[in-house]
Amino acid sequence: MGEEDVKYVEITYRGIFQKRLAKYVAEGLVYMARDMGKSAVSFGRYGDSPERNGVPAKYYVAVGNVSEEDLIGYSTRVEPEYVDVIAVLDDTLLKGVESWAWQGVQPINLKLRKDGAMIVTSRKPMEEMVKLTPSKDFQWTLGKLNWDRSFSGLWAFNDDTTMERVWGAIAKVRPDIVDIQHVVSYVKSHKKDKLNERLKAVEEAYEGLVIKTMNPGEGVEFKYAPPRLLTWQEMMEGTAIPAVPRGGRNEQFKRGTTKTERPTVDFDACIKCDLCWVYCPDECFDKTPDGYYDIAYDYCVGCGICAEVCPVKNCIVMVDEKRLPDYTRPYGMWKANKVEYKKWLQNARAEVRERPIVPGLGR
Amino acid sequence: MTQVAEKEILLNGTQAVAYAAMYADVDVTAAYPIRPYTEVMDTISKLIADGQLDAEFIIAEGEHGQFEIVKHASLVGARTLVGTSGVGWLYAMEAIVVTATDRAPVVAVIGNRALDDPGAYGVEHNDALMVRDVGWLLVWVDTAQEAFDTALLAYRIGEDPRVLIPVGVSMDGGFLTHSEQIVRLPDRELVKSFLPPYDRGKLRVHPDNPISVAPQVNEDWVTEIRRQHDEGMERAREVIKEAYESFKKTFGRYPGTTRDITMPENPFVEPYMVEDADVILVGMGTVSKPMKVAIKNMREKGVKAGMLRIRWFRPFPAEDVMKYLANAKVVCVVDRDYSLGSPFRGGVVYHEVRSSLYDLDERPKVLSFIGGLGGREITIQDVEKIIKIGVEQRDTPLTRHTYWVNVRGDPW
Ligand code: SF4
Ligand code: SF4
Repeated sequence: MGEEDVKYVEITYRGIFQKRLAKYVAEGLVYMARDMGKSAVSFGRYGDSPERNGVPAKYYVAVGNVSEEDLIGYSTRVEPEYVDVIAVLDDTLLKGVESWAWQGVQPINLKLRKDGAMIVTSRKPMEEMVKLTPSKDFQWTLGKLNWDRSFSGLWAFNDDTTMERVWGAIAKVRPDIVDIQHVVSYVKSHKKDKLNERLKAVEEAYEGLVIKTMNPGEGVEFKYAPPRLLTWQEMMEGTAIPAVPRGGRNEQFKRGTTKTERPTVDFDACIKCDLCWVYCPDECFDKTPDGYYDIAYDYCVGCGICAEVCPVKNCIVMVDEKRLPDYTRPYGMWKANKVEYKKWLQNARAEVRERPIVPGLGR
Repeated sequence: MTQVAEKEILLNGTQAVAYAAMYADVDVTAAYPIRPYTEVMDTISKLIADGQLDAEFIIAEGEHGQFEIVKHASLVGARTLVGTSGVGWLYAMEAIVVTATDRAPVVAVIGNRALDDPGAYGVEHNDALMVRDVGWLLVWVDTAQEAFDTALLAYRIGEDPRVLIPVGVSMDGGFLTHSEQIVRLPDRELVKSFLPPYDRGKLRVHPDNPISVAPQVNEDWVTEIRRQHDEGMERAREVIKEAYESFKKTFGRYPGTTRDITMPENPFVEPYMVEDADVILVGMGTVSKPMKVAIKNMREKGVKAGMLRIRWFRPFPAEDVMKYLANAKVVCVVDRDYSLGSPFRGGVVYHEVRSSLYDLDERPKVLSFIGGLGGREITIQDVEKIIKIGVEQRDTPLTRHTYWVNVRGDPW
């Protein structure tokens, strides 16, 4: 038994909102694997800046029939070479994961190895999920944990049985890593309160997991090529980097996968005041020839400032990211078909979270 | 040797130190957030909030104030925990230096982090090493268990009346601060017998003991004060040995060991397969774990490799370095730091090792490997490559002193 026998679980989550959740999911898996007589450790992908709202971040669990010291030796890594299970705690992460500066947007299942499984917490029908899921050139398993994504604050933990459900789902697809008996016995021995609710959640996830075998090439094509990083001779001296040319954007550092909400624009209401363009901290707005402002969604972090400063009621409205499948820019859609765009807008705005209005700004 | 049931709990390096501070029953902790230290203060504040620890938790306005607070608290007799990372440590430097010269045995966790610029979070040892010359005890740990055990030891060693010197417990940012492993927590009653109350005696600043600390002086005082400090640093060697022995007697296991992790009983260094080794790697911190795997792999191919992990960097274990490296042909020192413009362009640990070996009649060749900076990993494959370079250099005249591990732009 050596390095190649080590199994890795990757928990992909939204920074801050799901940090505790991811950490506790990982923690439970370590204890369970140890109860099964294996060595296990966990580690956060440290460069992720998970202390920033929404940043796609990762937690890992390494499990193996090796000594704990060897396991630490293998897993003293920034991230593992491959993963066997991915637990995605928010289905909007399927659009891509960009956690590091200068790495570009990566497909959610980049490191999944052959016969691996990815479990996504989602309310979408499986067919819709397949259309959002990057393909692999081998067979693998896609699982849907039919459950709402769970968000909370940085040090808070939303104890809403998501954790138990993720454990149950993993036990279903990869009992070789943790099996259902050990999930149950762990919950029984470590959780004193709401025990029945927790056990029911484990069982629901285990029994109710929607599973689909993904064939080679099934899903959407999502090409990712790691950026070519410069040699020390090529880099500018003094920690300097060249500016992005005027009108251009940084291809290697987009940050759009961070958002959990996005601004939608009703161009018919827009008075072309340019405040959104001025205030957007990420310079996401592009002036169109006819004076409107288009949004580069793949760079928008969803901070909501544009919606706050827009002086026209319901012109910019923040909507839940889960209602939109991709980062298609709005202006082109509106220009192409205003009626269709209206429908798109209505659909996107069908459920809008109440946002606090900051006094002194807009509206 | 007493055998006691220990509680096993999953903790990362920062949490382990916070738990040790709870077991040591610290009186005062001062905090200011910076990654990767932050989880120390988070954990401490939670332990206080949960009623598991009764201590003053003071949020400072910055790291300078943070270190001033614990220095003053320590001088009036409080047991303290403090910590920071990277540029936070440097921002506090004035306070950090006087903490040592005033002989306040605070315990500081340094979650090692690259210095700015560029802005990066990952490990590099240059932060903690900034105080290598000014009289701090400095130790590097490589597992969460060792972090816990060493933090307990740090109070016992630093507060010993023969020492009274602050202790910096360093751990690699990310690879240990944010990595969880099972830690054995001892019985709290046993900790009380291992760690006597902190007593500064006649050096305690108190109305009943009127003294003043840190006067302004002329040139006729300073040399003696430094010399005295030097003596305290030297006495620490004996105190460290005693403390490790006592730890083993009290808790029934040698510091840093677990069910899976065993090592020879030496407080200062961890030798691994050095007895017959031609090529011996030297390093500090978590690089030890990939090193051990690489050594096993290379030994399967017939290469006699070994490792000497430096645990205590101050006081530096020159005698152990001589003892364990004397018979090697090549010593490859892997530095997670740099010392630009230094002799042969080598790293900090390289110079300490090379200097320690100077008086041997037959010296091994010493090569410097600089790598893993800013949080880059040093993988098992990287270490195997280092060993191969050591083997290549074994029988040829020394042509090159320093290599940068896996740097883009140089052949590797
Ligand atoms: S929400 Fe608006 S202001 Fe914020 S980044 Fe996106 S476009 Fe810019
Ligand atoms: S702030 Fe609102 S009204 Fe002004 S240009 Fe932007 S979208 Fe149009």
